Amino acid sequence: MINVSNLSLWFHEDNDKPIISNLSFQLDRGETMLLLGPSGSGKSTLTHCLNGIYPRELDGKMTGDVTIFGQSIHDAHPGTISKQVGVVFQDPESQFCMLTVEDEIAFGLENICTPPLEISRKIDEVLQMVDLIDDKHSVISSLSGGQKQKLALACVLALEPEILILDEPTANLDPQATQEFIKTIQTIKQKKSMGIIVIEHQLEGWVSFIDRSFILSKDGKCMYDGPLARIISDNKESVLEEGICLPKITKLVLTAAEQNKAAYISPPLTIKDTPSLVTYMDNSFLEKTIPAAHQADIILSASRVTQNKKQKRVLHQIDFDLYESSFVAIIGANGSGKTSLTKVLSGIEAPTHGDILLRQHPIRNWKEKLLRKEIGYVFQNPEHQFITDTVFDEIAYSLRLHPYSESYIEEKVHYTLVNCQLQGFEHRHPYSLSQGQKRRLSVATMIVDEQKILFLDEPTFGQDAASTLKLMQMLKERHAKGTSIIMVTHDMDIVDKYADRVLVLENGEIIRDQSPDQLWKDSDLRRWHLDYPTRIQLQQHLEVNQHDFAIKST
Amino acid sequence: MTSLLNQLNPSIKAFTVILLVCLLTFVFDPFTPLVYCLFTILLTFVCGKIAWKRYMLYFLIIILLSVGMLWTTLAFADEPNRPHDTMEILFWDIPKEDVTVALALTLRMLAFASLSFMFIFTTNMVHFILSLMQQCKLSPKLAYGVLAGYRFLPLMKDELNQIRAAHQIRGVRRANGIKESIQQYKRYAIPLLAGAIRKAERTAVAMESKGFSGERQRTFYRTFTVKWQDWTFLVGMLLLFFIIIMISIKLGYFSWYKGQF
Amino acid sequence: MNNWKLKEIIVMSVLSVVFGIVYLAFLPIGKILVSFMGPIGYDFIFGIWFIVSIIAAYIIRKPGAAFLSETIAATVEMLLGNAMGPIIIITGIIQGLGAEAAFALTKWKRYSLWVLMLAGVGAAIFSFVWGYFRSGYAALSTPYILGMLCIRMISGAIISGLLGKAISDSLAKTGVLSSFALGKQIRKERSAS
Repeated sequence: MINVSNLSLWFHEDNDKPIISNLSFQLDRGETMLLLGPSGSGKSTLTHCLNGIYPRELDGKMTGDVTIFGQSIHDAHPGTISKQVGVVFQDPESQFCMLTVEDEIAFGLENICTPPLEISRKIDEVLQMVDLIDDKHSVISSLSGGQKQKLALACVLALEPEILILDEPTANLDPQATQEFIKTIQTIKQKKSMGIIVIEHQLEGWVSFIDRSFILSKDGKCMYDGPLARIISDNKESVLEEGICLPKITKLVLTAAEQNKAAYISPPLTIKDTPSLVTYMDNSFLEKTIPAAHQADIILSASRVTQNKKQKRVLHQIDFDLYESSFVAIIGANGSGKTSLTKVLSGIEAPTHGDILLRQHPIRNWKEKLLRKEIGYVFQNPEHQFITDTVFDEIAYSLRLHPYSESYIEEKVHYTLVNCQLQGFEHRHPYSLSQGQKRRLSVATMIVDEQKILFLDEPTFGQDAASTLKLMQMLKERHAKGTSIIMVTHDMDIVDKYADRVLVLENGEIIRDQSPDQLWKDSDLRRWHLDYPTRIQLQQHLEVNQHDFAIKST
Repeated sequence: MTSLLNQLNPSIKAFTVILLVCLLTFVFDPFTPLVYCLFTILLTFVCGKIAWKRYMLYFLIIILLSVGMLWTTLAFADEPNRPHDTMEILFWDIPKEDVTVALALTLRMLAFASLSFMFIFTTNMVHFILSLMQQCKLSPKLAYGVLAGYRFLPLMKDELNQIRAAHQIRGVRRANGIKESIQQYKRYAIPLLAGAIRKAERTAVAMESKGFSGERQRTFYRTFTVKWQDWTFLVGMLLLFFIIIMISIKLGYFSWYKGQF
Repeated sequence: MNNWKLKEIIVMSVLSVVFGIVYLAFLPIGKILVSFMGPIGYDFIFGIWFIVSIIAAYIIRKPGAAFLSETIAATVEMLLGNAMGPIIIITGIIQGLGAEAAFALTKWKRYSLWVLMLAGVGAAIFSFVWGYFRSGYAALSTPYILGMLCIRMISGAIISGLLGKAISDSLAKTGVLSSFALGKQIRKERSAS
């Protein structure tokens, strides 16, 4: 169906380094292909070539060819390609141009001149398919992120394409919505024999129905084309080096094997496959290594904190003491009040009732300037926090609010740059950095003044493995030096690996406040729409199926 | 109460309103706009299905504004031709001519507002743009481009709040004085605009990958046609205008706008 | 419309939406100034109400950018509740034409600071003529009217021309404009030097 031959692409005519270089592959009917690669390896550029946006919208140049059902994209009419190749993009906010669900689906059908009667039939059909039929007349902005992505999928399905490209469709969704989306795709794949290309960072859920993987390297070259399991067993170093996320279970088994605590026939990609593929695993590897939080001095405390917004309760009767140098994770379903809690605790928003004490003084009595020297806050979108034109000034900004000498500031900034692995980028514009670098820069601006408490709102969202690891290492170092870290996250493996205390929120209330280890022993996390970390899932799976390959070492 | 006004063709409705606004600009006496304004409000109440509370609120704001305008026109009025022909309002001697001019201006503004509100409160904006494409041959590229941009409106508000909070945490002080205020505006504007432009580009790609090429050849899920009701509305509104002018002339109130100095 | 790319149209309309809000936000500020010094109060900050045409034209550099963006901004302003209603659209059209006229003089080839300031002045003149008829400036004294015109022209040159350029330039620095005319020009200049 799709035939890519020797495709190379440059964004600027005069540039010698191509974004993607010399790619060739074929995709057959009904085949599902995973497109992997680190951020910036040209995955999205490639999709633009496959759905006819390039070369039409391209300012640079392109060599080689892409044919879809035998027709080259160079001379295809844009309407015809969209009937053959449909794309669901990453950002749920920027894929629509109409206000309501039915109008949006109609838009695509109008473009290909579908008669009006047929349009209304098709709208019902695809909405049924993605389970959104009850929202037919809803306004798009009232939908949740997961629903928006399903709508984007419905719009594409209405055009009845032969090939579906999913460009990180779940990167901005929480785990529950992600699972639901993948399930929808799986059902549709069973009904229609479409070719599917999936681009994703988080591979959980996808790997079970992927036929092959196409891996791009940092410089946009093809690194591998074949089954995922094979490259992992043959050459896992190269995959990890490129910063490509492997399924978490795969990673776990590989790490264990490296320490001689596991052995396998072939690396498992799902938990279900693990017992049959792994021959031996040391039980100690599935045990916890981080000690629970010890009681220390209280630096921040909230008592009976309640927050209402527009007569709706956001937070209710929150009691919380933050001890010095602890690492707290806040988890809970979407809309349970996680972000609101961090905003209230950090003094960004005021509670409706209740008190928050920072070092025994009410937080509202603190002068803004002194408060910010104590508490840092890293927002979900790092760009929102940038206020200057260069990375250097950005980090120096809060130092310059104090009467420090310029040489001291310079020294301090350089120290922080190294710390955040941003050396060499001093003169770049913050916006021109990569996602991972932006995130590290926003953390850098929040720790440069030696703040004792650092709040982070989903800092690992939508990042590749390498950036996540760098960021977490940086936070761990901070924590070791005595900074308290409070982090909102959906990633249970991160909670398990780094946090010494975890808060579970539901409807604005703290319903659990304990060590992660204790929480995992809790009867059922799934009722709060939460998952268990991989190692616990594996343990549970083994217990249920009474596998005995896990032996405790002596 | 019916929804007759809501069902009219949006393009014809807009055309009617704009035409009448233009016609009213040439009238310069207090009587004509006042009567026309009252008629329009009555029509909106009888033939429109609208959000009354908001309508009232908007009108209240307009009335307050026009009182302000009344005052400024009186206070900064030109030398009158007949300065001794005065009248007394709240112990203040004002040339009668100035009062007439000020009232005419103010009531004209109210008449504009009543017409505008009749349009805004009974028209769905998406339908308006779709109708512009179907009746007025507006380029689909422009029409859908504008709709896409219009969708960003609620997003912007959230974004701005977040940027404000994010800057507060960086220790950006609240602005004192004009120079700092301008700087602060710029600081908010750049992330807001940069984010919006990036989203706009993505939206364009998403639209194009759904087969949108901007060509005029397309079908419409919602079709808008011009029916006899629409023409009746246009003619009726015009007739009303001329009848009121006739009455106004009969009663001796009427005056054209002659570029009074 | 055919030589416009879809993304340019959407970016233009997004700019218009943003500045439609800004326009509305500046109305009360104008009102305060007016209550201090009379109708002339508006003229000091009048340039703010042309700024989107200068920004859009400077970024996109295609015929019609100034005119369309100002018109859309005015429409957005109306939708958000500007008391004037559809008439504000006419105001927008006229102001947009004023700015567009300046760019037309250079055949849409030059976008230097002077041209941008000229566009601000053009919008000021056009809007003044329109305001003269619509708001009945005729009722005011002649020197006062001339004063209004001068201040409005200066405001147009400085606020919309100078400030509009400054905003666009700092936006270009972030790199988000790389596929638009302004971003491309900056790239070219950089690789030349």
